[in-house]
Amino acid sequence: MSKKPTAQPVIHKVIMVGSGGVGKSALTLQFMYDEFVEDYEPTKADSYRKKILLDGEDVQIDILDTAGQEDYAAIRDNYFRSGEGFLCIFSITEDESFQATQEFREQILRVKNDENIPFLLVGNKCDLEDKRKVTFQEASERAKQWGVPYVETSAKTREHVDKVFYDLMREIRARKMDENKTSNGRGKDKSKKKRRLCKIL
Amino acid sequence: MESSKQVNFQLFSAKDFKADKYVKNLSQNYIGGFELQNFRKKILAISEETNNNLKKNVYQNYVQFIDTAKEISHLESEMYQLSHLLSEQKALLSTLSSTSILEHSTYHSIENENKNPDVNQKEENKQKLATILEKVEGCKEILEVPGRHLIFEGDLLEIDPVENTALKTVHIYLFNDGVMVTNRNSNSRGLMKYIFETMYDLTSLAVVNVRDLGNVKQAFKLLIFPDTRVFQCSSNSNKKEWLDKFDQTKKSRLTQEQQKRESVAEKSPSRTVSVESPNSSHDIEEVGLAHPEWFTESPEELDVWVAQRYFEEAVTLLQKVKDYINQSHSVLGQPDHILTDIQRKVEQRQNHLTEVLMKELEVNPDKSLQGGLRAARRAVRLLNQLGRSAQACDLFLKLCSSMLKTQCRRVKREGSITVYIRHISSVVFTNLSHMSEEFLRAFSDLPSCSSAYVIWASTELSLFISHFIKQVFMPQTPLSVITKCVVLVRTQCERLYTYGVDLCYQLDGGLRSPLTKALRDTRDKLIDSIKLRALEDKWIPMNLHSKQQISRCLQEYSALGLPLDSYVTGDTWIQISASTLAFTKTFFTLLHDCFKLQTSDLIHTIDDTLYTVFEAQIKYIENALRNEPNEEQKCFLLKNAEFLLVKVLERVQEVYKEYIGYESKSLKKLQVEYSALTKGIVPSSRSTKTKYSSEFL
Repeated sequence: MSKKPTAQPVIHKVIMVGSGGVGKSALTLQFMYDEFVEDYEPTKADSYRKKILLDGEDVQIDILDTAGQEDYAAIRDNYFRSGEGFLCIFSITEDESFQATQEFREQILRVKNDENIPFLLVGNKCDLEDKRKVTFQEASERAKQWGVPYVETSAKTREHVDKVFYDLMREIRARKMDENKTSNGRGKDKSKKKRRLCKIL
Repeated sequence: MESSKQVNFQLFSAKDFKADKYVKNLSQNYIGGFELQNFRKKILAISEETNNNLKKNVYQNYVQFIDTAKEISHLESEMYQLSHLLSEQKALLSTLSSTSILEHSTYHSIENENKNPDVNQKEENKQKLATILEKVEGCKEILEVPGRHLIFEGDLLEIDPVENTALKTVHIYLFNDGVMVTNRNSNSRGLMKYIFETMYDLTSLAVVNVRDLGNVKQAFKLLIFPDTRVFQCSSNSNKKEWLDKFDQTKKSRLTQEQQKRESVAEKSPSRTVSVESPNSSHDIEEVGLAHPEWFTESPEELDVWVAQRYFEEAVTLLQKVKDYINQSHSVLGQPDHILTDIQRKVEQRQNHLTEVLMKELEVNPDKSLQGGLRAARRAVRLLNQLGRSAQACDLFLKLCSSMLKTQCRRVKREGSITVYIRHISSVVFTNLSHMSEEFLRAFSDLPSCSSAYVIWASTELSLFISHFIKQVFMPQTPLSVITKCVVLVRTQCERLYTYGVDLCYQLDGGLRSPLTKALRDTRDKLIDSIKLRALEDKWIPMNLHSKQQISRCLQEYSALGLPLDSYVTGDTWIQISASTLAFTKTFFTLLHDCFKLQTSDLIHTIDDTLYTVFEAQIKYIENALRNEPNEEQKCFLLKNAEFLLVKVLERVQEVYKEYIGYESKSLKKLQVEYSALTKGIVPSSRSTKTKYSSEFL
């Protein structure tokens, strides 16, 4: 179908999830355009694409910045289905948003039917240390329990912003390479195994 | 030519027409080569003409055919419009009918008001849909969903989501419930501009605003697993319009769905499950586990049972539902919304049922008590099953009170007081026993209710006692009558022992003060009569005039335990004065009445009464002695005194001991005090007994 002789670099699809107002868009915009947007306007669902250099390799990152509030579960499922990796964001100044991550995690696992989906737990707004409500230990424990990394970021100071996106992309890339390596048969087996696991759960 | 042609036509179309024969006939008429050739030319000309005619005819018909075909296609689309119109009308009517039957009138009118302006809009929608129908091929079924209307449409450029290259131009229709994607129809130059490609349900369609896609601007994405489709708009404002429309439609659909769900849930929760679960997948997930039909319909079923007064069935169902809910709780851990919804509803029904049952038990002047307590059994039992035994008990006892009252009112006061008392006490205590029986039957395993019953019974008894006192304790009522009545009531009261209710103590307590008063009154009355007799007494032995009389008198007194044989002189005389004998008789009556009435509380009063009355009589003899100058008379008086103090008192003490268990101290004291009299000593002075004489004489 493509008329261009040069194929597009590989796309890694990243999805930003988290409660409203935790800074999903701010992180995205900081990563995309190196700018911090002070005023808050709720996102519906925005997508961004950028060509970047990941460990010396040209890749594209496709970021889907989702709405914190989506009324239809089926639509939310569709967002999650389109993702290859997830940044699950909460604000360290708001315990409720931290509690909500549990629900997001469960939804993602249900939709993707894969416990090892590339996933990062991100505590944003770490520049507001004086207003901190969620301790680093608390969040790390949850991340450990899920078997995912935990990173604290600040969209304002740009601390660890690139790190979370790049770390996630590395995981996605590793996953893709794994999948390419494993034969189709084994892949099927894997998915079957997981499905069965899910049923038991 | 024309006429021959006509003939020919008929000839040709005849059944037995044979070409060979016809040609032979024709060729026979023309002789010679030249003529034949001419004829051939003629025929050729005819055939040419016919050919032309045919061509003309066909052409004419063809135009007509095309016209007809066009007409038919018009008709077809019109029929579609009509059928659509009809289905919409039908939907409208069905919603109207359902609202008018099930909803309150206020809600109904609101609905109507809402609908009126809708009508115009609906017409418009229909027209819009009809035009779509004409433009898009293969979308007939899509447009037949009732209530669907067009929100927005437009041409968009579809982009390859990976390569960012243009794919094709699409025409997209946004409806209130979904998105229809159509492609350009390259084959048709006619009305059908587009070909239907797909339809997406709005509730599962994720719309993503593409902020940045390299060289691609003004685009948005539709995520429908597993598809991701990117569409490019003609301008930024166009894209904004599309996104806004998507957002608005989604929001209005959400509110609409919520309203629908609410209204449906209010009408019947069972329908919520069956109607909504197929079209929205997340609902199924929330429901988790499908509830059986009987459970989801239980609130309605309960209504029906209660309305038909099948209370037992209602209670059984209620219990079943509760068990089910408990079970589900333990299984699910956390309740789903249907469960809680039904639980709430069922609780309402339970309250309603309780109310109805309580009404059933309520005391109402209009209600007949014909059935008695038996009629209350059912309601009481059901209320107990519902765990409302406290209320049931309360109402049951109230019912009992009112029944008792009406029963008592029916007892008319006729004849003597004893008859009345016998009657009413029998009624009261028989009822009380029945009620106790019923009560124990209904609340046997509910100890908390028993105390209520005891309190109730004692209240009822005090009511009865006050009534009894009013009726019996009147100044003119003789003590013997009072005694009879009291004994009657006591024996009745003892009937309650069988049910473990001993109210005799309370009865005695209630009667103590009126009885004391009655005893005092009797005492005073007797003393008065003693005084009267004293004035008339001539102190002569009694003459009974005949042997029969005397034997009867002797019998009478020996029945009291006083043999008088020793006092008989001659044939008809008894050496005791008439007043003494009369007193003896009265005193024994008093004595027996007192013993019948006796309770440990009354002993003192009884002693006092007996003592005082007896002393008054002795006093009077003593007085008579003092004033008597005649020695012979004195002797007679002393004999009387001795009779009273020795014979009578001894007998009295015997009787006393028989009833009470020991001899009366006060009477003994009397005997001692007046021992002088028994020894035949006539008191000469008043010094020792002044206070008695001053008191009674």
